[in-house]
Amino acid sequence: MLRIKNLKCSYGSIMAVQGVSLSVRQGEIISIIGANGSGKSTLLLAICGLLTTWKGEILFQDHNLKGMSPTTIVRQGISMVPEGRQIFSPLSVMDNLKMGAYTIYKKGLKKQVDHDLEMIMNMFPILRERADQLAGTLSGGEQQMLAIGRALMARPRLLVLDEPSMGLAPKIVEMIFAVIQKLRQEGVTILLVEQNARAALKIADRGYVLETGKMVIQGSAQELLVDDDVKRAYLGKDYGNFYDGRD
Amino acid sequence: MVMHRMKNLTVEDKNQLKLERLQCTLNRAYKNVPFHRNRLLESSMLPENVVSLSDIEKLPFMDRSHLGIHYPYGLFAVPLRDIVRIHTASGTGTNPSISGYTKTDLMIWQKLVARSLEASGVTSMDILQINLPPGLANWGRDYKDGAENMGAGVIPNSPLSLAKTLMVLRDYKTTTLVTTLAFAEQLMEYMFKNERNPNEFNLKRIVLVGEPVDTEQIKNLEEHLHVDVWLNYGLSEIPGPAIAFECLHHCGMHINDDHILPEIIDPVTRDVIPLGQTGELVLTTLSARAFPLIRFRTGDMARFITAPCECGSPLITMQWLPERADTMMIISGIKISREQVKIYLKDALRVNEPRCALEKIRHGGTEILGIALVIDDSLFSDEIKNLEKLINNTSEELEELIGVPVKITLTEQNP
Repeated sequence: MLRIKNLKCSYGSIMAVQGVSLSVRQGEIISIIGANGSGKSTLLLAICGLLTTWKGEILFQDHNLKGMSPTTIVRQGISMVPEGRQIFSPLSVMDNLKMGAYTIYKKGLKKQVDHDLEMIMNMFPILRERADQLAGTLSGGEQQMLAIGRALMARPRLLVLDEPSMGLAPKIVEMIFAVIQKLRQEGVTILLVEQNARAALKIADRGYVLETGKMVIQGSAQELLVDDDVKRAYLGKDYGNFYDGRD
Repeated sequence: MVMHRMKNLTVEDKNQLKLERLQCTLNRAYKNVPFHRNRLLESSMLPENVVSLSDIEKLPFMDRSHLGIHYPYGLFAVPLRDIVRIHTASGTGTNPSISGYTKTDLMIWQKLVARSLEASGVTSMDILQINLPPGLANWGRDYKDGAENMGAGVIPNSPLSLAKTLMVLRDYKTTTLVTTLAFAEQLMEYMFKNERNPNEFNLKRIVLVGEPVDTEQIKNLEEHLHVDVWLNYGLSEIPGPAIAFECLHHCGMHINDDHILPEIIDPVTRDVIPLGQTGELVLTTLSARAFPLIRFRTGDMARFITAPCECGSPLITMQWLPERADTMMIISGIKISREQVKIYLKDALRVNEPRCALEKIRHGGTEILGIALVIDDSLFSDEIKNLEKLINNTSEELEELIGVPVKITLTEQNP
């Protein structure tokens, strides 16, 4: 579905992504993990057309995304849930959701949009309760649900999530990850960038580890969960946690 | 099941997966292994310059000598604390070859061994008996793990007499025997000599490892033992057995090329040769964490088979050929370096240049390394006892080093 080859992204003289290849197949949950500054978010910005000065190849369903505007990319079927939610705080919850349908809305499609709104309200009942409330007044977890709901309004085939658990209580994180799994069951393919590596790998099929702009490990989520490099760097263990009688 | 997942991949998906794995391997090798880092720098091929699978041709080769030079842990790409298994192979020089596996490596390797057993028709209903010589004991563990992983019953490798092996084979209702050609033939001869009818056994198949086998040898085993014979290809160094395997159609050997990238080169010019031509097999590991091999020259001769296999496997298929690109001998499935044997004899016998001839001989039904050693003034002793002791000690120590029985005979003339 998504195939990236030798992607290089620079900010001035700093190359944030240095020749990365990655793929997402239909129906998969793919998790990208890596420390701060490893290039994870930059990679997502390039996929979604928010960064235009990249080199390499990004193919989505065999279409090259080079030169496409973010709007066109959303129309192609990629929606993003950005880091920090980025909801429209002064607008109501309902208006935020409707904004998500911006790229598909045409005269005569009101029924479809209403149907999608209903589906999202069913998925996140709290959004129905808060429909008229200003989005900025929602809690962190509710805002995250809104951000996901807004992305789903564009009817994506690939949903890209950037740090969906950031700043949320463990219980809410659990719920968000359950929603991601449910979305996959409903046919949405997921590309997930996450600092909470363990939670992300638990629901993922495969994972990639980015380190200073380079891909250093890839494999099934099961393999990554037992990998010592991954444990040390991203699962909260460091060298001190490992008994080493072999020095 | 593993193979089914592979079958769902398109050619583009598979090549993408291989490129991703190759780039990860190179990034990690460059970062963590000084040997690889320096060689990539020398060849001006940094990992980021590898943008397609064909770029692998621009990378430097490595061979068995590098494993000995960097003894014991110089080629490991992870901290020693991450290693959960250490293997030793005899190597080619004064040092053995040491290889290591992380937990992830073992997990992947178990799947690949299971994949090769599945292709031979092994299921969780089978009982697998492993009989491999000490020099291939590492493979014994890998087959045990792989078979257990798929739920089959396993009788692990253990040194038993022929009579006991046969008893276990019959009484434990073994359905699959993993062994070398030499042992399978020895077992067959023993059975017939002792009037044991193959109908007394539940044996359905034999998986042969260690050396290429010709159709006559396979036919002989199949007809006498009433079994199907399957061939597996592996390396005794790293990553292990079952790098390539035969499927139900016996159309060649499918290489696990989603985890190990194969190339065929001209052993003299070292250029990659056109598809279908015979040359030396070169392997690059794509998923090994602890011990990445980059363009490892195996010394084995092979050719890629271009016709698709009826089984529909997306894996590359090869024919493993009996000739070699190097001077190594294969005895009971174990690769023996002639140079290493000579170096050892030189040290053990304290002579400058031992004159000797090495050959594979059948001795009492087993394969052994025969050494015809020219006795000259430097070796000669008028005490026969001393000479005998020297020869016996040397044979024993050499046997321990290379993992196969050794028989030294003395001769007065140049062999």
